[in-house]
Amino acid sequence: MAVKTYPVLEEPEVVSAYPVRKLVLGGLLLLVVILFMLDVALGSIAIPPKEVARIILGQGSDNAAWVYIIQKIRLPKAITAVLVGCGLSVGGLQMQTLFRNPLAGPSVLGITSGASLGVAVVMLSAGSITSLHTVRELGLTGSWLIIVASTLGAALVMLLIVAISARLRDNVIMLIVGVMIGNITISLISIWQYFSAPEQIKDYLMWTFGSLGGVTESHLYVLASAMLLGLAISFSATKLLDALLLGENYARSMGLTVGRARLLIIASTSILAGSITAFCGPIGFIGIAVPHLAQSLFHTSNHRTLIPCCCLTGTALMLFCDILSQMPGSQSVLPINVITALVGSPVVIWIIMSRNNLRASF
Amino acid sequence: MGSLVTLSEERQRAMQEKSRHFALARRKGIFLPAAPLFIRFLLYCGGLLPLVSACDNPPKHTASSTTDSRQDLFPEKTKIKYAKGFSVEYRGNYKVVNILNHFEDQVDTLRYLLVPKGITPPPQYADAQVIQIPVRQMVGLSSMHVALADFMDAPGVLVGLGNLKYVSSERVRKRIAAGQVKEVGNGGDLNEELLITLQPDLVMATGSPDAKFSRYNTLIGAGIPVLLNSEWLETTPLGRAEWVKLMAVLLNKEALVNQKFGDLEKEYHRLAALTQKAQFKPSIITGMPFKGTWSVPDGDSYMARFLKDAAATYHWANVQGKGSLHLDFERVAPVALQADFWLNVGYVDSKEDILGKDVRFKDFRPFKQESIYNNNKRVNDIGSNDYWESGAVNPHLILADLIKILHPELLPRHELVYYKQLR
Repeated sequence: MAVKTYPVLEEPEVVSAYPVRKLVLGGLLLLVVILFMLDVALGSIAIPPKEVARIILGQGSDNAAWVYIIQKIRLPKAITAVLVGCGLSVGGLQMQTLFRNPLAGPSVLGITSGASLGVAVVMLSAGSITSLHTVRELGLTGSWLIIVASTLGAALVMLLIVAISARLRDNVIMLIVGVMIGNITISLISIWQYFSAPEQIKDYLMWTFGSLGGVTESHLYVLASAMLLGLAISFSATKLLDALLLGENYARSMGLTVGRARLLIIASTSILAGSITAFCGPIGFIGIAVPHLAQSLFHTSNHRTLIPCCCLTGTALMLFCDILSQMPGSQSVLPINVITALVGSPVVIWIIMSRNNLRASF
Repeated sequence: MGSLVTLSEERQRAMQEKSRHFALARRKGIFLPAAPLFIRFLLYCGGLLPLVSACDNPPKHTASSTTDSRQDLFPEKTKIKYAKGFSVEYRGNYKVVNILNHFEDQVDTLRYLLVPKGITPPPQYADAQVIQIPVRQMVGLSSMHVALADFMDAPGVLVGLGNLKYVSSERVRKRIAAGQVKEVGNGGDLNEELLITLQPDLVMATGSPDAKFSRYNTLIGAGIPVLLNSEWLETTPLGRAEWVKLMAVLLNKEALVNQKFGDLEKEYHRLAALTQKAQFKPSIITGMPFKGTWSVPDGDSYMARFLKDAAATYHWANVQGKGSLHLDFERVAPVALQADFWLNVGYVDSKEDILGKDVRFKDFRPFKQESIYNNNKRVNDIGSNDYWESGAVNPHLILADLIKILHPELLPRHELVYYKQLR
């Protein structure tokens, strides 16, 4: 709690905070490792920890089902949780900085709803055999079909947002436009749902609950590459983000082309949020809650520190939520979105209550 | 035998006596001088004029006739043996149908009076809906209703359907092509105006009696009775198929249903008895996980019963419950890895499609052995699967398919009807 005495954005004291911050960083890293191991070790089927370790180390096990469960089910899911935790948190942080709004998140630009629209088009039109047939001709079936549709939807909205952002100078207007585009896509989905059969709506609804379990092998490589690309853009834009935090006018006076900075940040967030939604469905709250959590843990607004911190905090929270969603000992799984909202909302409340100086950082 | 004859002779004589009495009274033109017993009898009957003639002549249904429990208009009756969701009572010249929902120890009931044209419904059932029988024009909201009409050789009774896309019956599709069947929508977009214009004798909806019935109030207010079918809640294949008897009761086709359902029932029991000799009970899994959750049928469910009768080993056979279990993928994976057969895989048509859903399925033994069978052999050109339509009223065919798949030696000559092997 001693950390509390260091005010935000005061350089000398931030320097003296380094050892504490390193400690927190180290602790967080350890926590992530422990949570990752727990996520792999725990599940509805009880597997002895010794066996889990043997399987992970590649020594195999006498029980073929256990090997399958660890290698094919739990490990991909835990790795997905790490990727999603990083991507959504960093996406959220970028949006909060760009719009200087504590309630912004990666879904604020309407990219997530764009992805949902793409999925809705495929899932809800699947009843009409012609459309499904056309899609089959393209050689797309099953999981990849959903992913491609979702990516296209997200990309479409992203292009729209970028085109509009090139014309707009004010970020607040940009934020409103983003929210409105989100609303338009959601109402399009609603119309589609209204005319769909109950079974199709149920499938779509299941998708909106989000899931880390459907990402396997080749999916994982694609998702990981998209995350790397998005995060690389983010890391390269840390200076721009820092400058934006001081206000657009100030940023401009520092010689920063605000337009280009905005484009870079929007592109990175779109890639992160779009690809995660494509593979896992819309996962809420991580993107809003984690940046606040990271800021309050590390007492900094410096993005070079904040981005890795967000990755770690987001990963830890995502792994924790995944462990909860499996409810060890129970036979069922809860949808991940339910858990993130359940865990995420109190976090947001707690942070807003405990940090009176929240406004100072925006 | 002798006593029976004398009994009927006695009854005959009593009848003659009675009719002589009536004839006498009629000739006199007055009722008052008649015996007090006779007056009491008339009062008991609740009506004066029609009954005088009704006693010596077969009943004629004029507009003023009322219900009478002692008349038997329906000599051919049907009895419900397996279905738990409805009951039929014969009350002389009308029938009472109860749609039941068993919930723990409570039973919710929706009551319907099936009254022939021209007979005034009995007053004691104020809350019951009245259906005029035989039903000549009805609207069915689910594909099960198509199957029921088709089974009863009465596809012509359907004048409207919830969705014209989900029909397999050739006879009904011909009627649709000829424009004799209207699409009335379902659920939220039920086209009430069209329904009221159609003025069918009956709308058959799906649901259970505890569900919100109020959404059909407009229709009922417009004088169109709505019958809730809850056959999907039945937990045995024969129970579900027995809902054909409800259709028969509505159409006054009890004789036909007794014969057709009787044959079906006999065949089902014969097949189920065949498998009792089976030494090896192959293990099976059903369905496919979606987003990490794998739904498998409960131990007391419709599907589990099929599997039991087909002598399969089902891992969740002892789980109590009538619906399905929503399990974690890793709960089912150990069973799937070891299973002998994989059934009812869902919306896939080949092994390649299965891999498209999730590459992890290639490690399952049924995948390696090519012992995956899907119930989609009879999917037609418009994408409707007859398994859910005629399959529901032909459980003996589904059972035969399952036995052919799991124990081919028991039914060497059977050709799969609803199932096909995925390659």
